[in-house]
Amino acid sequence: MKKKLVSALLITGMLSSMIAGCGKSAGGGGAVNADGIKEFTAFFAVPGNEINNDNEIQDLIAEKTGCKVKESWLTGQSAEEAVGTFIAGGEYPDFIDGGNSSVQLYEAGALIPIDEYYDNYPNIRNYFTDQEWDMLRQSDGHIYWIPQFSKINGEERVCQHNDEAFWIQTRVLEWAGYPEVHTMDQYFDLIESYNEANPTMEDGTANIPYTILCDDWRYFCLENAPQFLDGYPNDGSVIVDPETLTVIDYNTTPTAKKYFQKLNEEYKKGIVDQESFTQTYDEYIAKLSTGRVLGMIDQWWDFYNTAGDAIKSAGLDKQGCEYVPLPITIEEGMTNQWHNSGGAFNASSGLAITTSCPDVEGALQFVNDLLAQDVHDLRFWGVEGVDYEVGDDGLYYRTPDMRVNCADSSYKAAHLCFYSYFPQFNGTSQDGKNAMKPENQENEFYDGLSDNLKKCFDAYGVKTYVEMLGTSPAPGPWYPMYSYSQTLTTSTPGGVAWNKIGEVKHEYLPKVVMAENFEAGWEDYMKVYNECKPEDFLSEMQTELERRVEMAAKYQ
Amino acid sequence: MKTKKLSKIEFKHQRVLIIWAAIICLYGFVFYYVPLVGWLMAFQNYKPVLGVFKSEFIGLGKFKLLFEDESFIRVIRNTFAMGVINLVCTFVMAILFAILLNEIKTRGSKKVVQTISYLPHFLSWIIVTGILHDALSGSGIINELLMNFHIISKPIDFFAHEGYFWPIVAFANVWKETGWNAIIYLAAITSIDPSLYEAAAIDGAGRWAKIRHVTLPGIKPTIMILLLMNVGNILNAGFEIQYLLGNGLVQKVSQTIDIYVLKWGISQADYSLGTAAGIFKSVVSIGLILVFNNIAKRHGEERLF
Repeated sequence: MKKKLVSALLITGMLSSMIAGCGKSAGGGGAVNADGIKEFTAFFAVPGNEINNDNEIQDLIAEKTGCKVKESWLTGQSAEEAVGTFIAGGEYPDFIDGGNSSVQLYEAGALIPIDEYYDNYPNIRNYFTDQEWDMLRQSDGHIYWIPQFSKINGEERVCQHNDEAFWIQTRVLEWAGYPEVHTMDQYFDLIESYNEANPTMEDGTANIPYTILCDDWRYFCLENAPQFLDGYPNDGSVIVDPETLTVIDYNTTPTAKKYFQKLNEEYKKGIVDQESFTQTYDEYIAKLSTGRVLGMIDQWWDFYNTAGDAIKSAGLDKQGCEYVPLPITIEEGMTNQWHNSGGAFNASSGLAITTSCPDVEGALQFVNDLLAQDVHDLRFWGVEGVDYEVGDDGLYYRTPDMRVNCADSSYKAAHLCFYSYFPQFNGTSQDGKNAMKPENQENEFYDGLSDNLKKCFDAYGVKTYVEMLGTSPAPGPWYPMYSYSQTLTTSTPGGVAWNKIGEVKHEYLPKVVMAENFEAGWEDYMKVYNECKPEDFLSEMQTELERRVEMAAKYQ
Repeated sequence: MKTKKLSKIEFKHQRVLIIWAAIICLYGFVFYYVPLVGWLMAFQNYKPVLGVFKSEFIGLGKFKLLFEDESFIRVIRNTFAMGVINLVCTFVMAILFAILLNEIKTRGSKKVVQTISYLPHFLSWIIVTGILHDALSGSGIINELLMNFHIISKPIDFFAHEGYFWPIVAFANVWKETGWNAIIYLAAITSIDPSLYEAAAIDGAGRWAKIRHVTLPGIKPTIMILLLMNVGNILNAGFEIQYLLGNGLVQKVSQTIDIYVLKWGISQADYSLGTAAGIFKSVVSIGLILVFNNIAKRHGEERLF
């Protein structure tokens, strides 16, 4: 009898857990918790750091706005896989940024049309101009997502170069007496001669002169430099000739060949890290964090928040292991566009609200509140007196202790809450003095630099990373073209070609760099490359380019 | 044999059993058969917004697309190759290991060896691949050993060569699963009647002869059943290990059907194509089991059904 009872209990337990599994998971969806705070959920299809549940600034923002969002990020998968899984399951978090797969979310009917609501929320409505809002309209004429990063309030303020560049450690530049480095040949000569004179770090660890990150979608560190080397900006998938308004394939230009040939030579000399093409992203970050790597191509956001902070907290900045960007082009005397001013309006993705969110008004109200200046200051500057001080002139600044805190990952998780994938401002604060974000506040930025960086910047007569490269305005209304190629799927011939090209490049670019005989390797690559029918892809890009130019003309 | 109808009295007596059985049947139906409705997707141009019941029917179009795709043929090859290599290696190693372990006569050391050997089974693949990636990297332990013994002069980048990939996967599988798989054979060996060994000893059999003529025939039924069950799993050659260890340079030999399904079905949002590839995999697996079961039947060996 006892046995029967036990098994009956077990079965009931099993069945009830099965039934519970079918029901909608509790929490989120604007449910109000015990403190009267609405709680939403959000998923962002990019890697990110989760903050603690009792994060202090998150609670402060919740007090002000009455809302709180539990954010989760991509772990391990690609953005497409994560979003595809959501669509297959049919249930979504309240907020979502689908990255490259935003269009798939729209096509699956998962998103709420924001333009039906936004008139009631002035901060959202005024976030973009009508022209910009129109660029966000999908095929049904509605707007489903808000790009978070391109809005500049007032005068643009930039100190950091948040984008791609050839980076080099300050110790290399210092050793060589801060030379002008403008070409790939000069760059690699410098690294080579430094490494010959100083093959190890202070503690005896061998240097890695140059490494290439090539892990999955992050292989941009290998593949897209030819566009920059030719003096074009980061259109990402093609070059756009601003004179003739035609797209050019940067994979096949003479510059591309020269670039890969150079890498091939350096690989054979042992300057390029032999593990480049098999290392994972984590291994790459670990390498960078030890300060062993003298130089590489990467996007600032891809390495700085992890490896950059690690270098600082290990005290390696004193050995000159921090990175600065160099204005490198294929030949001497060209204008480079590693950095563009004005922000890149990436219409292909942004923050969206899903059909699973039962309280759309509440969610939009929260986004609206996040854009208010006081909340924005809380998000990016923190709490006055704790994370920043206000000077007599009204300018915000941080004490050295505060700076150390803000680079400390456990402090960040417990205290700071950027809501970094919600809409935000760059540029100047409403008070007309401060920058919207501390990293772009000139005085604060410069004072916060390590001694070695200051020495380096002084030697070149600059004050910021951006000035190391120089800046030019964004080339035209089509920019950036990657916001279109990212949305291509295999349902069009151009998309199929784009997909195949990606696969071929993943395999053949490393082979080309490692080839014993570069010419033969390059020929093999070009042969396979041309079999992908790149012309299908290019013609679709050309059509999109013309569409964008035409649309922009309407507003002039 | 005549099937007897269930009489009322019997039904009354077995009421509880029948109810339990019904619950299990219902469970099986709901969780194994109802989801198969999703297979309809493979014959449609499935759009999530329309759902399974409203999407447009296109017949076998997706299957046609699948078999015209060179890369699908390649992933089938990879899956089969890795499946067979893994099966043979893990299978042989497990039997070998069980027999060797059985020959150890001190109980203590036998227990210790056995425990250590099956512990890797409880590690997840992400950890195993992490260890592998570290051990086989340019500055990893394997390269260091080989260099110290002057077998090679320059570190080998094991993950950059297509030729090394399948052996690495097989090695990882053997390392992880040998101890665990051996448990069942050890159990089978202990159930062999000791008098058989005594009889063999009287007949003058040494260790080797005992293994050949007593131990191996004794566990033969177990071997056959496990072999049959594993044959059905050949196409489950793996997903995690290939996904985690693969890179652009070896993608031609590393991608399996499961990775293909993920790539097209989920990443490219072509759920129909992904489902079609999945169906293909299931059908081939069922076919394999049937064929091998038949072969076993014909040779009068132990079989599944």
